[in-house]
Amino acid sequence: MPFPEKGTAAQNLQAVIDSAKDGEIIQLESTSYIGNIVIDKPLTLIGKKGTIIEGDGKGNVISVRASGVTISDLKVTNSGMDRNSPEEYAAFKVYTDGNIIRNIVIDHSFHGVYLSKAHDNTIENVSVKGLGKGEIAAQGNGLHVYYSNGNLLKNNFIEGTRDGMFFDYANDNKALNNKITKTRYGLHYMYSDRNEFKNNIFTFNTGGAAIMHSNQLKLENNQFIFNYGHRSFGLLVLSANENNIENNTFYMNQRGLYIDQSTDNLIRSNHLSQNQIGIELWASSNEQIFTGNTIQENTIPAVTLGGTGRNDWSLEGIGNDWGRSFPLLDLDQDGVGDSPAIYKSSLYELIEDQELVYLFLKSPAINIYEKLNQLLDHDKTMFEDQYPLVNRRKSTPYLPAIIIIAVFATAIFAKRRKLLCISFGKNGRKI
Amino acid sequence: MHFIWKEWKENIRGKGLWLAIGTIILVSVLLLVRSTSLSYDQGLYILLINLFDTLIYFIPILYLFMGAFSIFQEKEQKTLVMLLTKQESYWTFLAKKSFGMHLVLLTPVIIWFFLFLIPLKIFFKADIGTYLVFVLSITVLMLVFTQIGALVGSISRSRMQIAGIAVILWFYFFFLHDFALLSIIQDVTHENVKLFSIAYFLNPIQAVRMYLETGVGIYSFGHMSRLLKSFMWLQPGAFLGASFVFWMAATFISSVLLHRKEGFE
Repeated sequence: MPFPEKGTAAQNLQAVIDSAKDGEIIQLESTSYIGNIVIDKPLTLIGKKGTIIEGDGKGNVISVRASGVTISDLKVTNSGMDRNSPEEYAAFKVYTDGNIIRNIVIDHSFHGVYLSKAHDNTIENVSVKGLGKGEIAAQGNGLHVYYSNGNLLKNNFIEGTRDGMFFDYANDNKALNNKITKTRYGLHYMYSDRNEFKNNIFTFNTGGAAIMHSNQLKLENNQFIFNYGHRSFGLLVLSANENNIENNTFYMNQRGLYIDQSTDNLIRSNHLSQNQIGIELWASSNEQIFTGNTIQENTIPAVTLGGTGRNDWSLEGIGNDWGRSFPLLDLDQDGVGDSPAIYKSSLYELIEDQELVYLFLKSPAINIYEKLNQLLDHDKTMFEDQYPLVNRRKSTPYLPAIIIIAVFATAIFAKRRKLLCISFGKNGRKI
Repeated sequence: MHFIWKEWKENIRGKGLWLAIGTIILVSVLLLVRSTSLSYDQGLYILLINLFDTLIYFIPILYLFMGAFSIFQEKEQKTLVMLLTKQESYWTFLAKKSFGMHLVLLTPVIIWFFLFLIPLKIFFKADIGTYLVFVLSITVLMLVFTQIGALVGSISRSRMQIAGIAVILWFYFFFLHDFALLSIIQDVTHENVKLFSIAYFLNPIQAVRMYLETGVGIYSFGHMSRLLKSFMWLQPGAFLGASFVFWMAATFISSVLLHRKEGFE
């Protein structure tokens, strides 16, 4: 059913919805409609470029109270932002099952899409723009999934909200191909089991993803990049068990993987590089299995804090590739080092006792500190990989360093005597 | 004006300026080549952080040497004595000389970094504000170490002294300062954390790094603990500004007070 009149559209959207029959398709115009609206029957609401539904700033802009509703191709703005209200407001509040929300832009709203005890919904290609990092605490989440199971959240883009996607008591959901940036936690699971998240990209968040009190999740092919603040991490696993973390990339995070009070997680074939700390493993974390991971060029590859748990750094003869920082022989050419990769560090005590030590992790002084404590026998074994991988190690030399050294060497040796002084002084003339 | 012209002619005849610019260009280009496979959205940030982390190995020592030898050359060629005898006091000489040095040593590098922006715009989503923060960070680093170099040149009697002091200073700022702080870090409490903070940001390398990483938006201080809040009692830009002013002023005053008029090589 096309919308009747453009001019009066803004006032009549709720009336049109109320008068529509079940299953009807309502085509909206390229104009602004005044919310808030409640949809209490199965129907399809389709906008087009320029279609906006604007809330009154006091409640949910669109409330979906019937199953089988499809809403697509429009912009929704201006939900209530009141944090003291009895209800947390959203641009979309969905209370029912089997709905589709697709191709939506949301801004100026507390939560973007809020699924409340709503199952088997699809949230696709939704873009939620929050108020930015300075307002993290004053706003809600991009997509909020509360007591809701079996939902599919894919191809969404979320920026500058509190959490990108928040799952609370929500099981068996899938989060695929989402991009989340500049939030507190890109993805946050609380008491949510058997969820999958795959192919998502998390950048510039305080924390990429946080799995708390949630079990049996599958995390595959995600990228955690530049989650780099003082307390940041790519992925936090806290009191979470039996999760599969495979083929993810952790690049330039403060901590790549941060595991605390968790048991029996499988961490396989991930790539952790250029993080300040590759893996930070806190006390009471037992039975993790690290296998087939590439963990290289991190300031600290892995550190165990607050005591050493029982964790395995290999599985069935397959350890991890620790890069050039662990020179290993492989005389029998079976791809596994002839000796274990053992990493000792004295920094664990400092990290446990003094949070300011993170400020120094990029300093070259860290190396001196470690070497000195090594001599004084103040270090402790952080991990022991019995079967470190060597076959995947790149043999390419560090080209830039070599070229730069060559330039210096040429500049110096070409002059033969009092080279440094000649180069910098006396107008470059020999004396 | 003639100070600037003289400085420029001396530097383009010398090798130091070319070595410094050549190194910066080489490192920038090599890292760009390595970074072209990075993602369009994050590539610029990754490149800038890696470039900064590489350049801090070179810029302090190169600009220490250039600042020091530029002053020492005035002693070697007796122009310093002539100037001081005629119309200049040491501080007016040093002010003009420092201005000339900074202008001559900085301008080519800044020109290069604006040329470097062209390929960055092609390969990455390049945010100009972010890039300006990076250029400013590198600029501050060069200014500070050139001025410290001027102090080294002012107090040294020979080129060997300059080489020795410059290497020690580089080693200090690069390793020892942080190592000393790491050694006492376990005694830092809420009561003395401000002192620790001052000591931390007195290292220009750390002050610049903090400014760069927060300025480009990759490092955040969200949800700070009480200790960290006390530690970050100013904005990173303010810490950088304070560190910059301290080193520029301290080295300038020390140069005036401790200078030696002549070298003996």
